[in-house]
Amino acid sequence: MPRAARLVAAALLARGLVRLASGLVLLTRGLVLLARGLVLLARSLVLLARSLVLLTGGLVPPAATSAAHTPEEIRNIQRHGPWPQAVPRDPSNRASGNIDAIALGRALFFDPRLSPREDLACATCHLPERALTDGRDRGQGGGAAKPRLDRNTPGLWNTAHGHWFGWDGGADSLWSFALRPILHPDELGASAAHVARLLRGDANLACRYRNAFGRAVPPEAAVETALVDAAKALAAYLETLVSGRSAFDEFRDALARGDAAAAARYPAAARRGLALFAGKGQCSVCHFGPNFSNGEFHNIGMPHLVEPGRVDPGRHGGIRRVREDKYNLLGAFSDDATRASGSRTLHLAENHANYGQFKVPSLRNVELTAPYMHDGRLATLREVVRHYSELDEDRLHQDGEALLKPLRLSDAESEDLVAFLRSLTSRSFPDLNPAPGPCKRRGF
Amino acid sequence: MMRTAMPAAGALRGVALAALLVASPAAYAACDAGPGVLRGETPKVALAFRTTPPVIKVGELFSLQAQVCPQEGVSVAGLKVDAGMPAHKHGMNYQPRVSSTGAGKYTATGLMFHMPGQWQFTFDVETPAGRERIRVDYTAE
Repeated sequence: MPRAARLVAAALLARGLVRLASGLVLLTRGLVLLARGLVLLARSLVLLARSLVLLTGGLVPPAATSAAHTPEEIRNIQRHGPWPQAVPRDPSNRASGNIDAIALGRALFFDPRLSPREDLACATCHLPERALTDGRDRGQGGGAAKPRLDRNTPGLWNTAHGHWFGWDGGADSLWSFALRPILHPDELGASAAHVARLLRGDANLACRYRNAFGRAVPPEAAVETALVDAAKALAAYLETLVSGRSAFDEFRDALARGDAAAAARYPAAARRGLALFAGKGQCSVCHFGPNFSNGEFHNIGMPHLVEPGRVDPGRHGGIRRVREDKYNLLGAFSDDATRASGSRTLHLAENHANYGQFKVPSLRNVELTAPYMHDGRLATLREVVRHYSELDEDRLHQDGEALLKPLRLSDAESEDLVAFLRSLTSRSFPDLNPAPGPCKRRGF
Repeated sequence: MMRTAMPAAGALRGVALAALLVASPAAYAACDAGPGVLRGETPKVALAFRTTPPVIKVGELFSLQAQVCPQEGVSVAGLKVDAGMPAHKHGMNYQPRVSSTGAGKYTATGLMFHMPGQWQFTFDVETPAGRERIRVDYTAE
């Protein structure tokens, strides 16, 4: 081959190789782009799938989506908030909202010396680590006998939102409610003189009393005033026990503002349970409002025999007790000069149907307050749901009231209802007993 | 809201007795409904009332102010007030107190609806010829 021809062939070969290399580069770029495209496609599919999950609340049947709540259910759901609610000042208690009284009440709540035997404080039965209950079916008293009390120890979170206190509503104020266990011989078993002595004899308590009430602890001749003041300080402390927000609260507010993504974070089972609670189950008729209680009393068909031959009269006894109580809101110890806060007590109606009625408890933190009912006979939330599912109508309607019907829930529905009740557990609680430090006397 | 008038039956709670009031047809017409006013009637007696607060809040005490308007020749001796939930077959947990403020007017205090749903007011107007019962439905939200 002539030299010139070889040079031409070499040039052509070189050009071909360059084009081949360019082609390979382009092919590689194309493959990279294709791969990137596939990655983007995959990511898009993942995002799409996540969006669908968020929109539907997970692997939820269509009937359980927020869009499937009936207008009545949504209205009922909205009634359970917002949370927390402001605690109103108690006009019958001049210590209500008083920071010094709160400090005194907190000190007394955890002080076993409030009992003359020094074996029981309020916090012995209202344990902070047990949502201010004791985990027993019925409370346990003090002294050597440690008697079994008649009723379940009520939780104390959010009690300030009520109007009646105790399972029978035998107290019409938080402070008269606090007096009962202090004085009851089976519980703290104290006297007014003992409480006054404690307040006078402990420098820190005496200082806190003076700060709270603007005077020294009353003398021997006025020990009852010291007792009631101690109860009012305890009530001021109890008013501060407001639980934090729950998963339900987040859902309720998300529903109110139309935030589907936030609402979708609420577990699907809880949402189905909520639909039962606010719909078919009509639970929210009595477990009404932001605190999940209408604050009143109902007979739900629970046995009320305390022991053979002795019946717990429930609300019937509570009405009589509050009427006869010298510490009620119509009495001389109320700080409400108008007595307007005693209007409920003044207008109380009493009838036979009150037998066997007990207070509708709040359901906030209900998961933490087992066992359940006025005598703690139901150990778990599942048992509670079963009770309402299988109600004995003959027992319920003996007095003519036709409020409750057996819900006849399936196992899956029962589990959903339990999931909803668990979603009412607060995600945060205030510190119940922060170290108060020594009392510093105010300048009066 | 529906209003229905029913014949007298059963015992009631809150009651106020007033001097006999004999009214004219004009007085009967004075019980016409208006903004915020609820009304019920029988052939002999009409009754109009408003509540305080105007919208009843579940679980909160409220009062009501009523005007009784009898037909001509009918005298009124007093008024009883009660309420209940017919579907649930229960009444209120509180006993209202009724007082006459004169000229066929009454005030009832201490009423409370402790549940949402359909409630029914029952007014028993006492006349020498017997009791005239007026029922007025109310939905508590």
